[in-house]
Amino acid sequence: MSKSIFELVDDLPTGGLTVMSLNALDFAIPGQWQNTVGFDNTIKVVTGTDDPEYVQAIGERAVALYNDKGEGYQTAMWLYNTVDSGSRLLGAAAMANKVGEKFAMLGFLGNITPKAETAQTIDLSVKLVAEIVAYCQINGIPGDSVGDFLAGLGDYGGESLMRMCALVCFDGLIPLGPDFISMVMDKMGGMSPGELEGNQTFKGIKDQIPGGDTGGQLGFITESFGNVSGWMSDFVTSRGLSPETVVGNIRNFVDISDDKLDYLGAFLDVSTNYYVHTGTQTLARRLIERAAAEM
Amino acid sequence: MIVSNWRKAMMPIVLSVALLFSACSSKEPSKYAATQKETTGRNAPAAVAKNAEAGGDFNKFFPQGDAGYSRVFSQEKKGFAEAKLNKGGKNVAVMSISDTISVPAAAKKYERSTSKISSYPMLDEAPLKSTGVLVNNRYQVKVASRDPSFTGTDRQAWLKKFNLDGLSKLK
Repeated sequence: MSKSIFELVDDLPTGGLTVMSLNALDFAIPGQWQNTVGFDNTIKVVTGTDDPEYVQAIGERAVALYNDKGEGYQTAMWLYNTVDSGSRLLGAAAMANKVGEKFAMLGFLGNITPKAETAQTIDLSVKLVAEIVAYCQINGIPGDSVGDFLAGLGDYGGESLMRMCALVCFDGLIPLGPDFISMVMDKMGGMSPGELEGNQTFKGIKDQIPGGDTGGQLGFITESFGNVSGWMSDFVTSRGLSPETVVGNIRNFVDISDDKLDYLGAFLDVSTNYYVHTGTQTLARRLIERAAAEM
Repeated sequence: MIVSNWRKAMMPIVLSVALLFSACSSKEPSKYAATQKETTGRNAPAAVAKNAEAGGDFNKFFPQGDAGYSRVFSQEKKGFAEAKLNKGGKNVAVMSISDTISVPAAAKKYERSTSKISSYPMLDEAPLKSTGVLVNNRYQVKVASRDPSFTGTDRQAWLKKFNLDGLSKLK
């Protein structure tokens, strides 16, 4: 049986690599993200009340809304979970690929492991689409409306903004470099449906991506990335983000030498689950807001 | 023999340690456990009534942003629509319309109301820093503060900006 929403929020960690890596991004969006954990505590933070009767009533309504599968909240949670566990596999693959390049003896690994850059390109794009679909599941805007998503994206704050910030930094800048936006757009533009089909992260959420067949889904992913690229580009420029500034902040908690920087993206990938962590926080916040308004 | 006695002597200690650990690891049931049970499983009731109004139908009754306030629609679900009110890039309030057909207790609480906006009963919920009106005995319109600068007076002022009469004619 899947976990209840109150257990998921109660079980969010207050420390560990995920929380440390997100805190390392505070320089990019100062003060925007607080690691709010605990179901009742989130109710108090969102609504400003600590009246036990109100907290209980809001909590009960939020639990009921989450449990109603038709409301889409569980689909959103599944999406956040699936792209994170997909990226854990990708991290293992990227590591294997690096080892393959370093040791000629293991060079054959290159034949069965996707090129790190292509896999990472797909991973970043699919994660972005997962965000769009999850946003629409939570907020109720039809799943193929990129325009509505962009209006909402402009208003992103708190844990949602942190998730996008981490996507840009951990899945864009660090593994793909400062020109990741144009690189991803080029690669996605020239990609075949077969290449997409072979990607674990894509396979995980394929059924939830609009577009019909894989070719149509590739079009949707490419178009979505293109539509959000302007926002990402502004974000990178206005916050002064570069691989160096991000790595500099990560070095506060990860001891990593210059010659091992190639491994950092893969390391973050296998050792953190920032999508699930901040996704759970976003979902809880929206649920609680709705529950408080409806009661 | 000695070994056997030693084992016998140890047994209560081992058992009590095991019991202690199992007692520590079993959590107290959550105060939401009953709700969780009632709302899961095959015969669980839907959280939103089948004949609840579509959330998109509520959008046109929301006030526009003005005088430094911007309005951003943030949720649109069956029986519910919500918009944020931002000022200076900061969220200061949330405005919502919900169909109480899914939450009858929400409509019932307006029986306590002692004041009105237009002809609609109004209720202030201090613990939530929220003020609402009930339209047509069915649609709840609420404004909740998210920043101390947005006061109860502001909430009432914004409630008056909703097209409440239009909402009352919603079929």
